[in-house]
Amino acid sequence: MTDRGPAAERHDVVVIGAGPAGLAAALGARRAGIDDVLLIERDRTPGGILNQCIHDGFGLFLYKDSISGPEYAERLSDDAAREGVVFAMEAMVLDLTGDRVLRVASAGGYRLIRAGTVVLAMGCRERTRDMIGLPGTRPAGVFTAGSAQNLVNLHNLKIGREAVILGSGDVGLIMARRLTFEGIKVRGVFEILPWASGLERNVRQCLLDFDIPLELSATVVDIRGRDRVSSVVVARVDEALRPVPGSEREIACDTLLLSVGLIPENELSKRAGVALSPLTGGAVVDETLMTGVPGVFSCGNVLHIHDVADWASFEGFEAGRRAAEYVRGARSGGETVGIGAGENIRYVLPQAVRRGASGVTLNFRVRKPMRGVTVEVRGTASGRVLARIKLSRLVPSEMRKIRIPTPVEEPLEIAAHD
Amino acid sequence: MTERLTCVLCPIGCQIEAVRDGEKLDVRGNECPKGVDFAVQEILHPKRNLSASVPVKGAARRMVSVRLSRPVPRDLIFPILDTIAGLRPEAPVRRGQVLIADVLGTGADVIATRTVL
Repeated sequence: MTDRGPAAERHDVVVIGAGPAGLAAALGARRAGIDDVLLIERDRTPGGILNQCIHDGFGLFLYKDSISGPEYAERLSDDAAREGVVFAMEAMVLDLTGDRVLRVASAGGYRLIRAGTVVLAMGCRERTRDMIGLPGTRPAGVFTAGSAQNLVNLHNLKIGREAVILGSGDVGLIMARRLTFEGIKVRGVFEILPWASGLERNVRQCLLDFDIPLELSATVVDIRGRDRVSSVVVARVDEALRPVPGSEREIACDTLLLSVGLIPENELSKRAGVALSPLTGGAVVDETLMTGVPGVFSCGNVLHIHDVADWASFEGFEAGRRAAEYVRGARSGGETVGIGAGENIRYVLPQAVRRGASGVTLNFRVRKPMRGVTVEVRGTASGRVLARIKLSRLVPSEMRKIRIPTPVEEPLEIAAHD
Repeated sequence: MTERLTCVLCPIGCQIEAVRDGEKLDVRGNECPKGVDFAVQEILHPKRNLSASVPVKGAARRMVSVRLSRPVPRDLIFPILDTIAGLRPEAPVRRGQVLIADVLGTGADVIATRTVL
């Protein structure tokens, strides 16, 4: 049997996903001198999730201006188009192999692509009701916060009259304000943890500004209603996050929004054999953002969840630059040393660094809110402190960075102390 | 009198303490100088930006997102939203285009934040 499929196209750098990370990755590769950069996006418009994030606060770091998501998306994609990135729109990657062959379904037909390097930038998905095991009936009116944002901002739909929000992730907080603007009464935001999981500024300007109650250490334990949600039951939780019997209270509402976490979308990465971290849900990478599969890089929310689009873009620029280096054969190989997450650190990224690399920046998050914190990076063999920062406060919702000025010669561990 | 604030100018969200002594404010906890201006404004005249999404005439089922060109006094948010609710711009709309100039005399314009052709 002969293969009757299309002949394979070849491209030097192929980026999957045209959100804030993918657009930047494509630009990063172009700016590093690669002529042939293909950016594949399944939607009609580039920008990814930015298109439905109509609130301002984007671009503070990349554009030194506070703009909305759609403006950020248009500026970045205009830059990409002007600087010679080739877009494949309404094209969906169905399969990716470890030797960088992509199978793509597109409006123009099936495409088979051999890539010099691949940059993964597929973003993330929302955690759903099923994934948190939320009990109750299964009426209409239960939405993830992001899908509600899509329906309200892009489709002009009124999704309900009275809403309860479970989880204090940023999208949930943003939607509490957005629903209030649309005349929908928000009865309260309930967070199972003893602290808000979204950014402080969103608690301030999305909840406190409008007297929307935020109840910590509380969760939804039942959803009631037949065709449509008629109420939810909330309860306090104990230190083990178990509902406290007798603390239940029923709240009438017709809508429940879930803002209970984001998960990197790595189905394609898995097909390519990319090893994932159980801590981030994204690829294990070295300091060049290369995954365990040579020539496959990862950036943005598919790598780890970012709180700010600008950081996803900065990571994208770096992934694109590193992909270009790989294509040119300018990458020096070599063994890597591991970077471990020590006391009070939820995760650190990258998880490995090539021996001898200098000027490496580590991204990390802490496990719990802390005050008067010292963050230290130590060599696990020598015990030597390679980097140290002191911060007046640190919360899990903020990703922080720490730079190691000297070359890395041994495995490292990062820890935070009060 | 001490007031505790969360600075909303960037994602760091500094916890600011401002001690008010008549017309003077002593500001602490800010990681950058913008925090001082923020505390003065937040305590004396709080301001916010706002965004919304409105249907475009002549572009079937297309919405255009809008925001203000600069923050306005917080108590004008709902009056401005009422004004924006009646807005039906005609396609094409360009990013940055002024859809309502000097809305409610605030000096802020309502601008389109995406291009709809």
